[in-house]
Parts: sequence; structure tokens; C-alpha cells
Amino acid sequence: MEPIQYIGEHLLPGQLGQFALFAGFTGSLLAAFAWFMAVQRRERPEAATWNKIGQWSFGIHSVGILSVIGVIFYLMINKYYEYQYVQAHVSDDLPMKYIFSAFWEGQEGSFLLWMFWHIVLGLILVFRPGRFTAPVMSMLSLVQVFIGSMILGVYIGLGDDPFKLGSNPLLLLRDTVQAPIFSNANYVSLLQGTGLNPLLQNYWMTIHPPTLFLGFASTTLPFCFAAAGLWLKDYQGWVKAVLPWALFSGAILGLGILMGGAWAYEALTFGGYWAWDPVENMSLVPWLILVAGVHANLIAKNTRHGIRSTYVYYALTFVMILYSTFLTRSGVLGDTSVHAFTEMGLETQLLAFIVAFAAIAAIQLGLHYARIPVPEKEEATGSREFWMFIGTLILLFSGLIITGSTSLPVYNKIRQFFDPAYLGSVITDPIPHYNKYQIWIAVFISMFSGTAQFLRYREPNWAKHAGGFWKHSGISLAVALLLTLLASSWIKGYSWQYSVLMFAGLFTVASNLDYLVFFLRGNLKKAGSVVSHVGFGLMIVGILASGLNQRIISTNPFMMDGLIEGAEEDSARRNLLLFKGVPMKVKDYTITFVRDSIDNLTRTYEVNYKRHDDSGAVVEEFNLSPNILYNKDFSAIAAYNPATKRYLDKDIFTHIPALPKVEQDINYRREREDSLNYRPVALMPDLPTVFVDTVKLDDADTFLTRTYTLELQDVTRKPLHEDYSPQAGDLAIGATLAVRRSDDDSTYIVNPVVVLRGDFIYAYPHQINELNAKIRIPESIFESYFVQEENLNFENYTLKPGQEIAVEGFRLRLDGFQRDPVHPAYTPEDGDIAVGAKLYVQSATGDNTTLEPVFFIRGNRPFNIKDEWTTKGLSVRFASLDPQTESMQLMVARMPEAGRELSVELATNSLRSDYIVLEAKEFPGINYFWAGSLMMMIGLGLSMTDRMRQK
Amino acid sequence: MKKIYIIAVLMIVASIVILTSAADDMSTYATFADADNSGQKVKIAGQLSKDKEMVYDPQVDPNYFSFYMKDTEGVERKVVLLGSKPQDFELSEQLVLTGKAGGDEFIATEMLMKCPSKYKDEEVYIREEK
Repeated sequence: MEPIQYIGEHLLPGQLGQFALFAGFTGSLLAAFAWFMAVQRRERPEAATWNKIGQWSFGIHSVGILSVIGVIFYLMINKYYEYQYVQAHVSDDLPMKYIFSAFWEGQEGSFLLWMFWHIVLGLILVFRPGRFTAPVMSMLSLVQVFIGSMILGVYIGLGDDPFKLGSNPLLLLRDTVQAPIFSNANYVSLLQGTGLNPLLQNYWMTIHPPTLFLGFASTTLPFCFAAAGLWLKDYQGWVKAVLPWALFSGAILGLGILMGGAWAYEALTFGGYWAWDPVENMSLVPWLILVAGVHANLIAKNTRHGIRSTYVYYALTFVMILYSTFLTRSGVLGDTSVHAFTEMGLETQLLAFIVAFAAIAAIQLGLHYARIPVPEKEEATGSREFWMFIGTLILLFSGLIITGSTSLPVYNKIRQFFDPAYLGSVITDPIPHYNKYQIWIAVFISMFSGTAQFLRYREPNWAKHAGGFWKHSGISLAVALLLTLLASSWIKGYSWQYSVLMFAGLFTVASNLDYLVFFLRGNLKKAGSVVSHVGFGLMIVGILASGLNQRIISTNPFMMDGLIEGAEEDSARRNLLLFKGVPMKVKDYTITFVRDSIDNLTRTYEVNYKRHDDSGAVVEEFNLSPNILYNKDFSAIAAYNPATKRYLDKDIFTHIPALPKVEQDINYRREREDSLNYRPVALMPDLPTVFVDTVKLDDADTFLTRTYTLELQDVTRKPLHEDYSPQAGDLAIGATLAVRRSDDDSTYIVNPVVVLRGDFIYAYPHQINELNAKIRIPESIFESYFVQEENLNFENYTLKPGQEIAVEGFRLRLDGFQRDPVHPAYTPEDGDIAVGAKLYVQSATGDNTTLEPVFFIRGNRPFNIKDEWTTKGLSVRFASLDPQTESMQLMVARMPEAGRELSVELATNSLRSDYIVLEAKEFPGINYFWAGSLMMMIGLGLSMTDRMRQK
Repeated sequence: MKKIYIIAVLMIVASIVILTSAADDMSTYATFADADNSGQKVKIAGQLSKDKEMVYDPQVDPNYFSFYMKDTEGVERKVVLLGSKPQDFELSEQLVLTGKAGGDEFIATEMLMKCPSKYKDEEVYIREEK
């Protein structure tokens, strides 16, 4: 078969991208090798040449990878759907501001983002060369080789099943999927993009991944420096050089993790900031070990103790980053995580990545272990390094426990490999499982980070220092105890374990503030550690407050009948049904669903909250507006977005977990509408009409009869309906009806409308939600109406202003003329001469109204527009005007009784659609968590700038 | 470093204790039969029975969603989730429930869904004819 000549493909950018990709990959290989040689031959003159080659190769690598990124953006911006990656992540309706999010939504894009940050960090090192540049860059380039291989997409080996190295983001769609569409030469014009998952269409997706990946990338450097130090046999020099990088990494990685938590809390509906999800855990573990490394690093720098530990911590941090990458990207987490990627066939490569660097780290340490200097004297028990080092061990311990529990799916996979019958185990309740152990770790860390501040490095004279130590520790303990007592009146539901943790957290805060005042004398430049540790203490307070006192507001008091006993099931019942405009009292709030409005695909619900005190008086009132996002064709809801009311001491979080099905899916709504059983009811004005409805009951052959009483109050040509916006030329009829049902006390006033616009008829039925009933005016109204209209017999009368006549029992009086008349059926044009007549009309029964028929001359031709008193069937026309006598020709007609009948249709099985399901939660003290955790990162940043200044 | 070693040994002991005690927190994915027998809170993995009815009527109870699921042994049972019907529920294939047996039903307090098609669609989207 002859290959098809495809039309409309843009192959050139893809080919350029492929070239750049291979150039970039080769560049990283070459750079790794050249700098390797530069280190190995560092004593010889050719080292300078190798260095040059290294720089140039890294330059090629950088240009190559940046070009690949540029090409992908170009393809995405131009929406070239013939490329698989573009088709999978972009769509026509994707706003430009989400193009970055779309780029790193996929695995390939996020690998590129990771490489991008390595390039940025690498270039900083290359342009500020130092003693460790060559070995660090050699290692960094090797890391780039491994990541680059993930996006190469080349096949290695022969035969039917060659090994696929990486997944290439520049492949054409027709090379990745088989579909009949590709037999069409012009398939490109038929393609449509899948687009970005609507859940990811928010600003968090724009800022969280780049921050997190900068955090990931920055952990590479401490490891590279550690390895470089050993490689150059400069066992102490690296300890100082690495510190600012490690502090930077700690701050950024921490910030990235926090943003993830903030996203989960604010934009997604997980209802919390941390859920011990495997993906969350595996970004936390490297951070914990990195922080352990920073502390070991400080010990090593000040005392020369713990150089090996620092090395191990930094190496382990990087290996853990790789392990985390493996877990989230290999698909091994399967059904235990909500946000892991799906499988892509990169498992082997990811595994090789981990093994390679774990091996490099281990071999390096093995080779140099004995030569790394260790002071002869053991750390004194009263020294700062001793307790700090124990602190690092506890952090490591924490990380390893979390890793152990999180790796359960990996363990299952391995066992299943040897024993396929093995079922695999899971953690039944992850949150209590993790909390149980981490509580004690947090207690230890808090206590140590408080007391260690009062200790000195290499304690020279403990006997002299001890007094001060005990004094300050004592003061801090006393302050913490006092604060714990105060807090216990605020936070309820303590167990003794939580009290201990609260005490420990407050102790950290108190002791570090003490240290700031009495030891640092308020010198904020040196206060990085104080800021971080106080932050840690506050974070613990926040976790306890928001975790323990989290309160579900939206528990329906009437729904507590409960399926089974037990508090747990009750707490699971957290949704409340709210009808529009009907206030619902729950606990200390009254919640009302006020209104909803739709703008494009976003539908916003306004919910009113009134908080009252014990006596019932309203203390506070506010509105929250959670919203939902429909998909393109309104056939489903793509995202439910919560809304939060923020206070200094708490947050009130609210979101909509469910809506009536007719509001979720427009197709279902149409289906429902079509299935409605409308039955006609003929109504005469002002004469109540009875309609009997029989409902078959589900369980037996019994029927329920309900009687509806309908009364036609008014018929108008100028109807009002919430969904109807009048346009010029519309012919509209609206009725006002009073409806009652036998089993309901209320009278409902309804206003159905029907509109003839051009050739189309639009019906605007009126839904009575309380009665599950719907009323509409049938289309046939126009037909019967026009027939009646044509058969009307008008009679002529001449009238002067003030003159009164009697016609068919009505009394008509001309009150005057009106220039520029307003009439729904009259649209003024330039050159019109138009006059309206003001007619006062009174019926035999004494009712009265004012009619205003219009007469106008357009292009020398006379026209008139009638006006009518619909319920009485009286029509009037303004036939002509005699300017000399100031008299008008009036035509009057009365519709026979039968013609005044209005037929409406009533359906009694329409679904109620005016409600929402709402979940509302109160998170007290959540701001302590945010402020505290942010302070930790700020403290790391402060320390970093301080260390950089010392250089 | 001697004291440090002692502490390290203590930590290793502690971690062994923790890991053994943690075994209580773990369970294999149970079946409906296991849930009946134990009466305890269990985790059950299974397939959603898409042909059976799913009931969620917020007007009756916004915290009651019922559907049918087949566990790993192929036993099908009615499940009641004490919450709202999650988004895209019909698309999910694999479900993991946390809850207890309650008579003929399984009362779930938590549910994880796995929708393989959600993030990666192999289907080629075709523009609609205009």
C-alpha cells in the first residue's frame, strides 16, 4: 500500500525539537564525561581543556533542552493537534493562562521542568566557578543524562519487543495511536484536543509544580557537593560550601510541599491540607532528611563531628527524591493514592536511576570512609552538637517510618512477584496510623530544638554554663506550661498525648524566643534558626487546633436517625440539603441558599450564614460563594470549587458536593423535560378551575388523588420571566395564575410565558418546586389567538379628547394623545411620526384600566398597533388622526367568550431542582499552621542569606 | 560517638517495636464475607456493578448513596456510602471501601475510586461535524 500523503501537518518544528532533544541529551553525556576527566586530571595541564569542553557541552545541553521546551510551547500555543502531547493536554477552549499548566500536566513536561531547574542551577555554578564546580557539574550532568533518557523515546534492541527508552513528547499522534481516522489524508483538520483536566485549571497548578520541582532539583546540589568533597578528598571544605545550597533547598522544597497542602485545602475538596497520601508523604520524607542533613552540616562545620553523617543525609535526601519519583510515576501506588500518575512503562528506567545513584553514593562513601576525619574526643553530653545530632537521628527515623508505611504497595508487588497468590495488605486507616508515631517524633524534636539552643558547641566548661542552661530551660518550661493550660480551655477533645504535644510545641516557641532575646540580643540576621523553630512550634499548635477542633457545621439535625449507632457514622454524615430561600438552622448557624448565577461555564451559588449566640440573637452574618464548573457542553460538572471565610483564629470552609441531577446534566434535563406528562387545562379569566391528578403509589394498587385549583388572573403581552429577555419583534404572551393544591396551604403565583421569535417558538414554563409541578402555555396559543384575531369585528368611532363613549357594556374615554408612545410591539425608526392615544376604560363590573393603541406614519404610509384588555377580550385600534379637528378614529372589537379562554398545560411529575447539597466545616487555628510552617521556610531562607554573607 | 551509638541502637529497637505493632494497622483487602465475620472496620476492594441501580436522592437524605459492588471473590452486595455521590462515579472501575458490615448491606464511611480513563484518554477526539 502506498503511504498516505497527509495534508496540513506541521512537521518541521517537531523535527527541530527532536534534533534539539538529541543534541541536549548528547550534551549532557559529554558534559558529564568532560568534567569527570577535568576532576581526574586536575593536577595536569589538560584539566583546563576538559573544563572548557565541559562548559561548552553543558551549554549545548542547556540550549538543546530549552529549545525542546520552546518547541513544545510553540506547538501547544498553535494547537498543532497532530502532536500527541499537544492533543493530550491542550484544547481550543483552553485559556492562554493555563498553557504552562498544560505543559507540565504530563509526565514528559514535568521531567522537562525538572531538567529546566537543573539547568538554571547548573548555569549559576558555571558562571560562578569555585573549587567544586567541576565535580559538582559532572554529577549534575549525569543526573541530567538519566532524566533526559526518560523523554528520549528511542527503541533499543531488536526483535518483536525492543526496549523502549523513555517517552518522547514530540511524537505525532498517528505514530502513537492506531485509529481509522489516520486513513484520511486530511485528518489534522478533524482533530480535537483533550485539554487540561478542569480540576487543574487554577492558579495553584501554575505555581505549585514549578516550586516543587525547583525544590526537587535543588536537592541534587547538596548531594553533588557531598560527593564532590569526597571525590576531591577535600573532606572539610565542602561542608562549608554546601550549606547555603542545602538551606535554599530546604526552604524551596518545603514551600513546594506547603503549596500542595494549601492547594488541597483551598481549591480541591479534600477538606484538609494533609491526608498522609503516598504522594504527599514521599515529598515530605526527602525534606525531613534534608533538614536532618542541614543540622548535621552545622555540627560538622562547627565541630568537625558528623561529616560522614552529613554526607549520608544529603545522599539519602537525593535518593529519596528519586524513590519518590519512582513511586509517583511508575504506577506502583495504584489505588492507594489519589494523585499518582498512571503507568507509562518507565518503571525499569526509574528503578535504574535510583540504583545508579544509590550505588554511586555508597561506593564513594565506602572508598573514603576511613579517611574522613573524626575528632578523637566524643561529643560531651552537655554540648549542643550531641543533642542536635540526636535530633537529626529522630528526623531520619521519622522519614524512614513514613517511607516504610508508604512503601507497602511496593512490598506487596515484590511478594506478589514470588507468590502470585499473595493478596497484598493495606493500611486500614492511614491518618491515625501515621499520626500515632509522628506525634512522639514531633514531641522529641520540639523539646530538643528548644533546649539545644541554650547549649554551646564543643561545651568547654559545662559546670559554669549549667546554671544558665537550667535557668532558661526552667523559664521556658514554666511559660510553656502556662500557655498549655490556656490553650486547653480553647481546644477541646484533648487526649493526654495531644496535651504533651501541645506543651512541647509551646516549649519550642517559648525557649526560642528566650534565646532570641537573651542570647542573640535580638539580632534578627542571626535569627534564622529561631524563626524556623518558633515556626515549627506554632505549626504544631495549628495542627492540633485545626485537627482536633475541626467541626462539621452542616450536620442536619433532622437527619440524625442514623443507620447504625456510633459516633463515627454520624461524623461521616456531613452534608446538608438546602432549598433555595429556605433557612436551615444547624448548630449555631442558620444557613440559607440565597441565589445562584451562571457566567459562561461557572455557576456560583450564594450561601448566607448567620451565626447566633445561645440566646438565638444573630452575632454575625456573611455570604460565601462556592461554585461549580460545567464541562464544555453542560453534560457534567467538571469541578466543584469550595469557598472559605477566613478569620484570624479560624476558617469556615464550605463546598457543594452534590446538586440535583437535572442541574448537573443538560441532556438528562432535556430527557426529563420530554418525559413530563403535560395535561391541558382550559381556563377562563377570574374563574377558578379544578384539575384532578391521580398518582399511583409505588407499593400497591392504590392511587392518591390530588386536586389542583387554577385561577387565571391576567394575560399580558409584556410578560416577565427570569429566563426570558425580550427582543425587538418578539410576540410574547404571558399568563398570571394562582395555583393551589388540596394538600398544601399555600397559593402559588406562577407566570409561564411563551414567545414567538421569527419562526421559532420558545416556551418558558414555570416550575412550582414545592409542588413538583410545572406549568406552561402551549404553542397552540398562537394559532388560536391569530384565528380569533382575524375574525374580530371592529367598529369605528370618532373621539375627541375628553369625550366618552359606551361600547358593549364598556365605557371608553379619550384622555389625550401621547407623542413618542411606548408599546411592546412598536419599535421607533427615524422619520416615524407616531402618536399614542390614552384611553381610560371601565367595564360593567367597575374594573378599569388604561389602554394605549399606537398610530404612526412611516414612509408616507399609515400604520396602527392595537392594544387590548386581554382578560376582558376588548381590543382597540387607533385607525387615524385628524389634526384639524383633533379627533381620532377608534376601532373597537370584543372577542366572544370562547375566544377569551386560555389553555395552559400542567405537569405534576416534574423534579425539584431548587436545592443544593452543602458541606460546611470549621477549622479553628488553621492560620497557626500556615504562619508556623511558612516561618520555618523563611527561617531557612534567612539562614541561607546569612551563610552566603559569611563566605 | 559511643553515646550516640547507644541512642541509635535504642532507635532501632524502637523501630522494630513500632513495625511489629504497626502490623495491627494493616490488613489485606477484605471481602464481604470477612466483613460479616469480623464485624470490624475493614477495607474492601472490588468492581462497581454498573448494571445495578445506584440511588442518590439528596431530597430524601443527602448522606445516603447506595450502589452494588462485587468483591474480589465475586460476591455482589449492596453498599451504602454515608455521603454524597462522588463526581464521575459511573466511570470508576476499581473501588476501595472502608467500612463495616451492617445487616445485608455494607456501610462505607470512605471510598477511593480509580478511574483509569480520567487522566489519560486513548481515544482520539474528533471535531463534531458542523
